[in-house]
Amino acid sequence: MNMEMINYKDDGQFCSGHVACAGCAEALALRVIMNAVGQDAIGVVAPSCSAVILGGHPMSSVKIPFIHGTLESAAASASGVKRALVAQGKPDTTVLCLAGDGGTYDIGLQSLSSAAERNEDILYVCFDNEGYMNTGGQKSSSTPLNATTGSTPTGKSTRKKNLIEILAAHRIPYIATTSPSHLNDMAAKIKKAKTIRGTKVIIVLIPCLPGWGVADNAAVKTARLAVESGVFPLFEVEGGLTYTMTKATKTQPINDYLSLQKRYRHLNDEQIAQIQQDVDEDWQRLTTRAIEADV
Amino acid sequence: MNALSSNKDLQLLNGNHAVAMGVKLANPHFAPLYPITPQTPILEKLIALQSAGELETELLTPESEHSAMASAIAASATGVRVFTATSSQGLLLMHELLHFAAGARTPIVMFNVNRTPASPWGFWPDQIDSLSQRDTGWVQLYSENPQESLDTVIQAFRIAEAAQMPVMVNHDAFYVSHAVEPVEVPAQETVDTFLPAYKAGLHLDPELGRSLGAPIDQKSWNESRQQMAAAMATVGDLTASAGQDWGDLTGRSYGPLEQYRTDGADVVFVTMGSMCGTVREAVDGLRARGIAAGLLKIRLFRPLPQVELRKALADVPCAIVLDRNYSPGVGGVVHQELKAALFDMANAPRLHGLLAGVGGVNVSAEMIERLAVEYRDAVASPDPVWVEE
Amino acid sequence: MDDMQRSTLWTDALSENRLTGTWRNETPDYRNLPSPCLGACPVSGRIADWIGKVEKKDYRGAWETLVDNNPFPAIAGRICHHPCETACNRAQLDETVSICALERFVGDTALSEGWAFPAPPANAPAQSVAIIGSGPAGLSAAYQLRRAGVGVTIYESQDQLGGLMRYGIPAYRLEKSILDGEIARIIDMGVTVKLNTEITGAAGLQELRVRHDAVYLATGASRPKPLPGVDYDQPWVQDSADFLAATNAGQDCTLGAHVLVIGGGSAAMDVARTARRLGRKVTVLALEPEAMLPAQRAEVIEATEEGIEFVTGAMMQSAEPGTDGLRIRCTRVDFKRGTTRGAFNITPVEDSEFTLTADAIIPSIGQDADLSRWQDLLAGDGPVLKADASWHTGLDGVFTGGDVASMDRFVTQAIGMGKEAARSILVYIAPDVGAADAPADDPEAGFSVINTAYHPLAERNKPQNADVTARLGNFKEVQQSLDQSQAMTEASRCFSCGTCTYCDNCYFYCPDMAITKLDGGGYEIKSDYCKGCGLCVAECPTGAIRMQEDL
Repeated sequence: MNMEMINYKDDGQFCSGHVACAGCAEALALRVIMNAVGQDAIGVVAPSCSAVILGGHPMSSVKIPFIHGTLESAAASASGVKRALVAQGKPDTTVLCLAGDGGTYDIGLQSLSSAAERNEDILYVCFDNEGYMNTGGQKSSSTPLNATTGSTPTGKSTRKKNLIEILAAHRIPYIATTSPSHLNDMAAKIKKAKTIRGTKVIIVLIPCLPGWGVADNAAVKTARLAVESGVFPLFEVEGGLTYTMTKATKTQPINDYLSLQKRYRHLNDEQIAQIQQDVDEDWQRLTTRAIEADV
Repeated sequence: MNALSSNKDLQLLNGNHAVAMGVKLANPHFAPLYPITPQTPILEKLIALQSAGELETELLTPESEHSAMASAIAASATGVRVFTATSSQGLLLMHELLHFAAGARTPIVMFNVNRTPASPWGFWPDQIDSLSQRDTGWVQLYSENPQESLDTVIQAFRIAEAAQMPVMVNHDAFYVSHAVEPVEVPAQETVDTFLPAYKAGLHLDPELGRSLGAPIDQKSWNESRQQMAAAMATVGDLTASAGQDWGDLTGRSYGPLEQYRTDGADVVFVTMGSMCGTVREAVDGLRARGIAAGLLKIRLFRPLPQVELRKALADVPCAIVLDRNYSPGVGGVVHQELKAALFDMANAPRLHGLLAGVGGVNVSAEMIERLAVEYRDAVASPDPVWVEE
Repeated sequence: MDDMQRSTLWTDALSENRLTGTWRNETPDYRNLPSPCLGACPVSGRIADWIGKVEKKDYRGAWETLVDNNPFPAIAGRICHHPCETACNRAQLDETVSICALERFVGDTALSEGWAFPAPPANAPAQSVAIIGSGPAGLSAAYQLRRAGVGVTIYESQDQLGGLMRYGIPAYRLEKSILDGEIARIIDMGVTVKLNTEITGAAGLQELRVRHDAVYLATGASRPKPLPGVDYDQPWVQDSADFLAATNAGQDCTLGAHVLVIGGGSAAMDVARTARRLGRKVTVLALEPEAMLPAQRAEVIEATEEGIEFVTGAMMQSAEPGTDGLRIRCTRVDFKRGTTRGAFNITPVEDSEFTLTADAIIPSIGQDADLSRWQDLLAGDGPVLKADASWHTGLDGVFTGGDVASMDRFVTQAIGMGKEAARSILVYIAPDVGAADAPADDPEAGFSVINTAYHPLAERNKPQNADVTARLGNFKEVQQSLDQSQAMTEASRCFSCGTCTYCDNCYFYCPDMAITKLDGGGYEIKSDYCKGCGLCVAECPTGAIRMQEDL
């Protein structure tokens, strides 16, 4: 078979027995991330599905220590951990910050922006499931146009916030997107981020099984189609200016992606065409930027 | 060991700068700071000290008090000594995290400059900002003057770290924060003797791998509050011993309460913060006029030293609470707290609750003397009374 | 203080204490499922298995897997009608995998490397089996029996081994050195060969039955089907089998310059293309319309390329010598396929007569088995010998297979029948030794279980044919081998349907770390933790895992 073999090393940093939903892509991503980050790390987790997955007192599903912080202050908490480590003479210990899109795009944006502006030496991972899924599925500013949630029962009327451009404007050293359909890419980006001093933000698309209305075994397929349709491109932004496409082509029509998800099942042809047009235009803009950066 | 009175380092410092000097001596590892009037001089002084190479503390200037407290909690959980400072709106913005810090048992020391909260906007001394945080689980201490602020902030670290509870020290806006007085700055060796090097308890450590604050069941949450109760129960004694030890080293002793000329007093004023200074003057005036007045200063408000309060006020005919705060719909917070503390006490004083100085209005010694005369024989009303100059 | 905090604030154990396996109601089951190519393969060859080995450059391993079911990969890789490629799941994505060409690659590699079959077990049972006929069925049976240690004697009426493979298939499709090489490897296993030994009649058979523990009768279909209305005694008529046998033996063709080959099957194509190579002008006359010709499509195309003319949907009515060669009167026919293989109905189309000219006629409408010599002993079943599902004839200890026993007239079908019969014979003569595997009832790994995300579109490496001009005037092989790099890339196109390739996708895509990689290869589900989500199944590129309901 002519396929890319997954080759990251699982050192057991993420443990069985966690309470993620069966088939959860966030647990899958945590597995990659925790193993890529390794043991010399301290984590901060905002209230989110991840906090549930990591915890369940008195048990922990991870081998590194985490502080379960508040929703709006994950990046500030991570800054505090980092400064404490510096004060203790341990500046090389990785500080990993995990938050959902609610804790990142919405309520946590202020503290994230501040940490980014200060270029705090933290690795911030946003599990972007495009809504408040841990509270049963309400819209966030990451929810895409037309998607239904508990608080947008007829579909969201505005577009998803472009967090990456916001972060790029902070000129932090590293921003990347990755997907649970591309585990090698995810591991590589985490490892790369670990070698960079300053604020690193990695956004991981997490198709939420109940929140998006996706079958138990289809999270990876959905994530893959998100990448292949171009709705969630895989790329890196270095120094806020240098855009690099990790996957340079989009090959699938948007409808293949949309049709896997109940949150889009109300769409008419016109709306699908509109989404396709938006995706095409965004892709064009992004790839142009990447090409310009390459010149 | 006796006070190093022969080498007294007296400096003219305002209250906030005195705090900063105390923080410098306590030498925390980390201090996140966000500017707010009238706290800002603490921030500026610490940054100036750090810039001058006199302070090793890792400073962080985030975008909000909320982030300051969030980073303080996380740093403390990582095993270092942490200080922060704020006032009014800033303290209120932290509210969620104040519960969090106490629940996480992070021994942070925070200095709060008591100031009126908006709306309407005001920048005046009033203690409702910190008093309204009384249920968050923070130990609360109130300071009367710059010297006490310096002394107390150092003692606060010892109390916090022994009880594994966060401690908030308060002084009044401008009356203390910006009032310049000669302040004795103790020697570093003195402070080092008093405050041992930071010894972290269980903390975030990759080698231990234990996580803090994961979701728990009802019973465990309930237990966590019982554990906080047990910790709070030690704070009175810790405050007393800290104040005593500090006195042994510096000649300035402190306790949870302070009684000034209460022996045989017919009327005892009960208050906190800068008001105590004015009351001292009034007490002296009243005593000179033959009126047996006294002052009961509450220094430790949380945990409220109820046993000591009952003891201090036993057989006193009349007590007048001067509340520089107002809890709408109830009245003065100290008045309410004291009523509860003295409940069902056979030899309790008649207790007057006077709302004096709310919003920073001036309360002079003369006014206090007048109030003593007016209320010492009056029937106490359960309701608060607004009093003016 | 720390002790108290421990209980409510700080975690003190790993989640491995929580057994999430209780959430599950379905469990992944690793079970290699039959691929569609396997189902279609006449010898039940484990195609996905050996192609996987080719991809890993384990040619020896691939060959060993191949010859488990078929001792003739180099031959089958040339002439198999490859129903596997029709069944191939990959055809639904882009194009079928060139399985047949890959088999040839492996078979040729084995011959050029001189790989031999292992010597049969030394402590073999003393039984022996007589095999009558050394065509693909007979040799296949001989090979399988010998592998099991059984003594084998082949009785062949001709002076060389190979049957149809030698006498019926021209060298431009199957080079004689390939045939010789693959047969020699079988004989080298210690097979006794009696050439020029025709066994006929009840007496001959009975004698063999007494001398041996069992007899395998695989005499093929050597008797030409007569074309009605043709006088075979005329010098301008030659039977196709005789023509091919003679030309394959290197004898000259004595026929005239323009040959009319009658028939539309593979044998007719062989005849026509052989005659063409001998310099004749060739016309093929077939009942079937062109699209329905029973010959393989490639054969028809190649014949056309070689300048052979086709007159299809027509039949000969009479042939008479004239002044300028034969005058062959024909009529158009309406051809309808029948319900059984080979059966058809034709209706002449009125007023559609036409005339062809030629110098000779070679009827090539197929051959029948000669059952007459066994008629007192063995029952027939229409045109073939009667046998039960295990290829046992009505006569105790006499088994049969190949064209004498089946109308499935393909070389690889015969090889498969030989293998099946050998198994039956082993059970018959030594039940302890030869018990066959119970047939598995697993569902086939169809296209729907393949995760095509792991199989990027890739152009097929088709075997190339020699240039037309280079083909004529000689009997060099038309179809060329894949080279090593083509073989590798072609092997990588195989989905390995239903076969675990140990790619570790299931291991890595498990969000619950509930799959263990076993030391010796393979995987195991940790039932303590598997939540039964099915991601491993969904992300298996080959469909080698399935969810099974927990009972």
